[in-house]
Amino acid sequence: MTGGPALVARPAAGAPARLRGALGERVFYGLIGFVGVLLIWEATAQLGLYRKSLLSTPSAIWQAAATDIANGELWPHVSLSLTEFAIGFVLSLVLGVPLGLLIGWFRRVDYLFSGLLAGLNAMPHVALIPLIILVAGIGMESKVIVVFLWTFFAVVVTTFNGVQTTARKHLEITRSFGGSQWLAFRTVVLPSTLPFIISGVRIGAGRALVGVVSAEFLAANRGLGFYISLYGTFLDTARVMLGIVIFGILGVVIGELVRVVERRFEVWRPDLHH
Amino acid sequence: MEHHLALSARGVQMEYRDRQSGKRLLALENVDLDVPDGAFVSLLGPSGCGKSTFLKIVNGLLRQTSGEIKLHRVAKGREDAMVFQDASLFPWYTVTDNVAYGLVCAGVSRKAARERVQPFIDLVGLGGFGDKYPYQLSGGMQQRANLARALAVDAAILLMDEPFASLDAQTRELMQAELLRIWNAARKTVVFVTHQIDEAVFLSDRVVVMAARPGRVIADITIDLPRPRELSVKRTPLFQDYGERIWGLLAGRQEETASQGRAS
Amino acid sequence: MARASTADGPTFRTVLPRQRRRRSAAQRWYRRNERLVLSLLGIVAFFAVWQLGADAGIVDRFFFSSPSEVAIAGWAELQRARFWEDVRVSSVELAVGSALAVIVSVPLGLVIGWYRRLSYAFDPWLNFLNALPRVALIPLVVLWVGLGVEMKMLIVFLGAVFTIMVATVEGVRTVERQLLDVARSFRASEARIFTSLVIPGTLPFIISGLRIAVGRVLAGVIIAEFYAQTQGVGVMIAKAAATLQSDRMMFGVVLVTLLGIILYEAVGYAERWFQRWRPSLDLEETT
Repeated sequence: MTGGPALVARPAAGAPARLRGALGERVFYGLIGFVGVLLIWEATAQLGLYRKSLLSTPSAIWQAAATDIANGELWPHVSLSLTEFAIGFVLSLVLGVPLGLLIGWFRRVDYLFSGLLAGLNAMPHVALIPLIILVAGIGMESKVIVVFLWTFFAVVVTTFNGVQTTARKHLEITRSFGGSQWLAFRTVVLPSTLPFIISGVRIGAGRALVGVVSAEFLAANRGLGFYISLYGTFLDTARVMLGIVIFGILGVVIGELVRVVERRFEVWRPDLHH
Repeated sequence: MEHHLALSARGVQMEYRDRQSGKRLLALENVDLDVPDGAFVSLLGPSGCGKSTFLKIVNGLLRQTSGEIKLHRVAKGREDAMVFQDASLFPWYTVTDNVAYGLVCAGVSRKAARERVQPFIDLVGLGGFGDKYPYQLSGGMQQRANLARALAVDAAILLMDEPFASLDAQTRELMQAELLRIWNAARKTVVFVTHQIDEAVFLSDRVVVMAARPGRVIADITIDLPRPRELSVKRTPLFQDYGERIWGLLAGRQEETASQGRAS
Repeated sequence: MARASTADGPTFRTVLPRQRRRRSAAQRWYRRNERLVLSLLGIVAFFAVWQLGADAGIVDRFFFSSPSEVAIAGWAELQRARFWEDVRVSSVELAVGSALAVIVSVPLGLVIGWYRRLSYAFDPWLNFLNALPRVALIPLVVLWVGLGVEMKMLIVFLGAVFTIMVATVEGVRTVERQLLDVARSFRASEARIFTSLVIPGTLPFIISGLRIAVGRVLAGVIIAEFYAQTQGVGVMIAKAAATLQSDRMMFGVVLVTLLGIILYEAVGYAERWFQRWRPSLDLEETT
């Protein structure tokens, strides 16, 4: 560049670009995207560009929601699904976290279980649904078992990965100051494994939701999955979509709840504060 | 001041065996070292000379293959405490809890330990930062907390393992001056590991120069600079003489220092 | 512990050297291979407990069968044409669905990730679709295309497409600012930056997305086959369960588990290969 005969112009950034902050921009375009897709969906369906029975329309789904909530038809399905989810999920945490910690902390226990767990974790657990229904029937128990199995392995595996990635450097500090193994476990292993446990919870929660839906599709007489599949056979797309939307909302809400827990317990992590 | 020896090492060897090749590696070869009580001694050498290994053996984190080390008993507290390299604070603890951790390891309750460490937090200049988490501190401040943790357990000997290695040049100089101030106030014996010549000369009563492969002591140089030292001492001819002599040793020109002799 | 080796004197505490233990050749071999030995032992023990439990009547044969019965049933199954037809159908569904998902999601993800505002606009929908248990879409997809192979391919496709897309968008967004600045300061064209920087930088993320997708794709194909009851390994499992042939059903479960392990290993291998130069990455696996 030096010594060139002509200067290269460097135009200043336009003023409007700086008006909206990064966050504001995010929300602004997010809203545009959200509302835009809804409008296009509604408009194209009303204009008859495709059969309404394929995707229904936002307004029809809204109508279905209003009716089924008002006449109390929806709630029993939702509450049953949530109950199955909650029981299976809590059980898997109560059993999975301690087991994961145990396996991770004792080297030989880890070796003993590592091959087995890798196999059980790679298994598509949905394949067990027929067996579980056979053993536990089509009631709530079978769904709770499905949810439990899905979540359990995710929680165990992530927890024990967490224990194993505990920094040697940090364990050395406890040893250097003459602290016991038990102290090292409480003050070093547990806190540094917490992020892994929480990510196991997140993965597990997602899987548990899949478990609820799948099990209810295959054998149930109540529950949100049953609701979707029932109205599917009636070709009532609006209600099918309603069920799907509720599952989506549940997924998002559960994800957000996990994030809240994460913020609460991991104030020390800089990456969680933007 | 030098009433007795705080630390005495005789014939310390450390041998590793490579898992794959089965070859033996001599990390430390026949190391002798005496450190008088209250002295500031630096171990200086290139990476791989075993200086950190020696420190870890003294601290009990590693065990030597042969030779023995004697540490002078103390009436209360511990014989030795380690100041680690960078990022050795627990990110999930506040500054206060990190500084208190050494005491917690010694069996003091968390609550009592928190109270007892307040003076040490003030001593290292972190007053008011007790509730911050490590990520909220600069590198220099993190190393102050690291130092306070070792001071709080009231050990007779501080083992410092390249504590300023990852700081920028300016912060490093500032921390060197701070360390001397704290050393003066706390009256500890210090064994300081570093690979920086000027750091070793500026801080120490004696600089023990080491070489790698195998790790061994090649010289033991007494630094006769007046105390208390200011940073300005680094610009004096005497300081620079010491620096050049050590540099010559590390570069392999040992004949220049034949007159200096080797200790013990 | 740290102080175990110390001998106590009146004025000095002495740190003594480590005692050398003599080990026999067998002991040394075990120490070197302990991990492998114990993990194999764990797997063997699992099958042994299952077998012995079934023989002793502790494990209910009626539901869980036993390893030896499963092996016999599996051998019989391998001789049957119907079985191979099921395997073929499931493989085609998996392959076509996953391939379509990659073809659609990678270019879209690259574009969405590159144009910041576009990515903001798509964020709510992508997050929603990624958090939605995709299997919930099965009845809807059945309404679209019926119960045939197309439905199952679509479910496989839907199971993978958002996951890979989210990972790709994430990858483009995290292409290192510094490298971008370097490229821009050398006046590289946008197209050049895209091919030389963005695509290679995003590749590891795409593979990670694939790894997460493996589980979903497998689960998707099996549930879809359960639901449709037409053809495929899932149907074989469901039919065996319905007719109380627990040995055949267990064989099906073992088969899909093996498939899962192979797919995970393959993608994991590819992932490690592409990430030689990059520290491992922690992508969120949601559904």
